[in-house]
Amino acid sequence: MQITLDGLQKHYGTYHALKSIDLAVPAGQFVALVGPSGCGKSTLLRTIAGLEAISAGTLRIAGEDVTRRPPRQRDVAMVFQSYALYPHMTVAENMGYALKLRRLNRTDIARRTQVAAATLGLEALLGRYPRELSGGQRQRVAMGRAIVRDPKVFLFDEPLSNLDAALRVHMRGELRDLHDRLAATSVYVTHDQIEAMTMADHVVVMRAGRIEQQGRPLDLYDRPASRFVAGFIGSPAMNILPGTVDPSGRAARLDGAEGPLLSLPMLLEPGRPVLLGLRPEHLRLSQEGGARFDGVVDHIESTGSTTFVKLKVASQAMVMTLARRLDVTLGDPMQIGFDPADLHIFDRESEASLVTQRDAPPRAGRA
Amino acid sequence: MKISGQTSRPGRIAVSALPDPTASTMRLSVFDTFRDGRGLDALLVLLTLVYLIVFGLAPILYTVLMSLQQVDMFTLGDFSRPFVGFANYVDVLTRPEAGMVARHTLVFVALSVACQLVLGFALALFFQQDFPGAGIMRGLFLAAWIMPGLVVGGIWRWMLAGDNGVVNSLLAVTHLHPTKIFWMSDPATSLYAVTIANIWLGIPFNMLLLSVGLAAIPKDLYEAAQLDGAGPVERFRSITLPMMRATLGALVSLSVIFTLQQFDLFAGMTQGGPSNSSNVAQFWSWQLSFQTYDIAGGSTIAVLMIAVVIGVATLYVRSTRHEQIG
Ligand SMILES: Nc1ncnc2c1ncn2[C@@H]1O[C@H](COP(=O)(O)OP(=O)(O)OP(=O)(O)O)[C@@H](O)[C@H]1O
Ligand SMILES: [Mg+2]
Repeated sequence: MQITLDGLQKHYGTYHALKSIDLAVPAGQFVALVGPSGCGKSTLLRTIAGLEAISAGTLRIAGEDVTRRPPRQRDVAMVFQSYALYPHMTVAENMGYALKLRRLNRTDIARRTQVAAATLGLEALLGRYPRELSGGQRQRVAMGRAIVRDPKVFLFDEPLSNLDAALRVHMRGELRDLHDRLAATSVYVTHDQIEAMTMADHVVVMRAGRIEQQGRPLDLYDRPASRFVAGFIGSPAMNILPGTVDPSGRAARLDGAEGPLLSLPMLLEPGRPVLLGLRPEHLRLSQEGGARFDGVVDHIESTGSTTFVKLKVASQAMVMTLARRLDVTLGDPMQIGFDPADLHIFDRESEASLVTQRDAPPRAGRA
Repeated sequence: MKISGQTSRPGRIAVSALPDPTASTMRLSVFDTFRDGRGLDALLVLLTLVYLIVFGLAPILYTVLMSLQQVDMFTLGDFSRPFVGFANYVDVLTRPEAGMVARHTLVFVALSVACQLVLGFALALFFQQDFPGAGIMRGLFLAAWIMPGLVVGGIWRWMLAGDNGVVNSLLAVTHLHPTKIFWMSDPATSLYAVTIANIWLGIPFNMLLLSVGLAAIPKDLYEAAQLDGAGPVERFRSITLPMMRATLGALVSLSVIFTLQQFDLFAGMTQGGPSNSSNVAQFWSWQLSFQTYDIAGGSTIAVLMIAVVIGVATLYVRSTRHEQIG
């Protein structure tokens, strides 16, 4: 069911945790909330759940105004980071608890618990207590407790962060599958942008209680509206270096560099201080032509499939990733090229993107 | 202790492996034995054992011994007194007041424990709600706990006084009971007078332990239950109570033991009277031993009470053993 947030505000005493959040989640969408620690992701999720009172603004779920309703009248299910399984109940009792409270009869509860358990591969564990389960199994039970209720909305607060890396990747896929099979509407909090990018239909980047930008994952990657989003989405993070627009207005020079000019994809006023952004994966070793600059190899790491080269460019650090091995030693000079279309340019003052303003309408704020 | 012993072990070896291991090595290793915990461990265990034997086990054994012997004032200093088998037990249990005292003890313990628990729980839940001043008020409640029993007894004697006690005038003002109740001198109420004082005395302890138990329940369980559709009553029933099971078990056991030890209030308020109407086992035991010098009789009651306490203590240990749910 769709969720609509209109000018949502949350104050903790004098602390302004959520500053006018506008968000529309269409039915059936998987929305990820990302942002650095303390930006208000959990707070936003908990206000949707009803665990935190909303200070101002309205919240609608399936078109109904639920701003002042207690959690149990909102028909939302939440999966907690800690899972919050009831330690004194078996897996079956944990999953059936909500149904029992709705006064379903015993056979219905057992049947629905069975169905949910089968969906998640938990049949063999129904008689166990949470303390007798592994982390991954607990995570599944927490999921099961949510899906057994068939709620209007699923909320997830960093549900995978207690799992090891391999299991996390596996559960990502499973969670998304589950979402599609149930045709659910999900809001998913994570601080891991890769999780957000791989799982979500729509990503909301938050910063200090505000929505910095929202949109489809690849749109955020291709057209970050600000330096913050540019640095947050993508891994390794985008290289962002201070530069100044050349007198011609068609190129920029990295500050402190004698070297060649980087040609710009558009015309800017000469002498304007800017920030130049280049994703590590958009850099390449260059023979000739195109935009280029010189660097010195500072550090090199390889995972076998990918090589990470740390470079010194005009006394600034830069990272380049290459999908092949590279035979260089530290201190080697290197010529680096890129496609001018891949260059991101941000205003030095406001840190807003100058490229997106030209190419596409900014998607920050109201969607 | 074990860890500290192990970690400093290599250090000691390093010292003795120095090129010139002369007298200082000897001195160091003796010193180290204490410093790295091994000697200290033994010493601490020994001290505790000695303490337990001298002040715990020996008096109990001596009491058991006396309960099996014929003891009077003139043979007090002797160990070699005539053994009488279980004659003392038969004697004490067949006395006319025995049944009454047993009944009083049961009423006193049951009422005290139940009321302390319910009121303590209510207060613990109340202070769990974070309102301004909750901490200070909770602290004030503990004042009751640090007062000596005899003082508390004295205060309650004033408050429950028949002619001009606060309780009676409150009852009169609120028309709950317009006539005066002579709490301590009326045989029908004397036991309840002491029980009321004892309940008051025990509430802070109950509240404290229950507060700790409540604080240990993860908040997110309540949040999950809220989302699952549980109202406040349901959350209390299906989350709080089951999660507090271990605490409640331990608390009931401890309360029973403490209540069976309650002596000061009887000494301070009713002296077990009038005519044994508020007499309980622990006070009767003292009366027999130190007022009538029927030391064998007093010891016998004490031994019977020890048996009960050991039973309750076993339950307590059992309930704490299962404390880790989760
Ligand atoms: N109960 C509260 N009282 C006061 N301030 C709070 C409370 N809960 C959260 N905050 C503040 O609100 C801000 C947002 O917190 P929130 O938990 O939403 O962050 P988050 O984005 O989920 O971070 P993380 O990734 O670390 O979980 C933080 O600065 C936090 O200190
Ligand atoms: Mg959080």
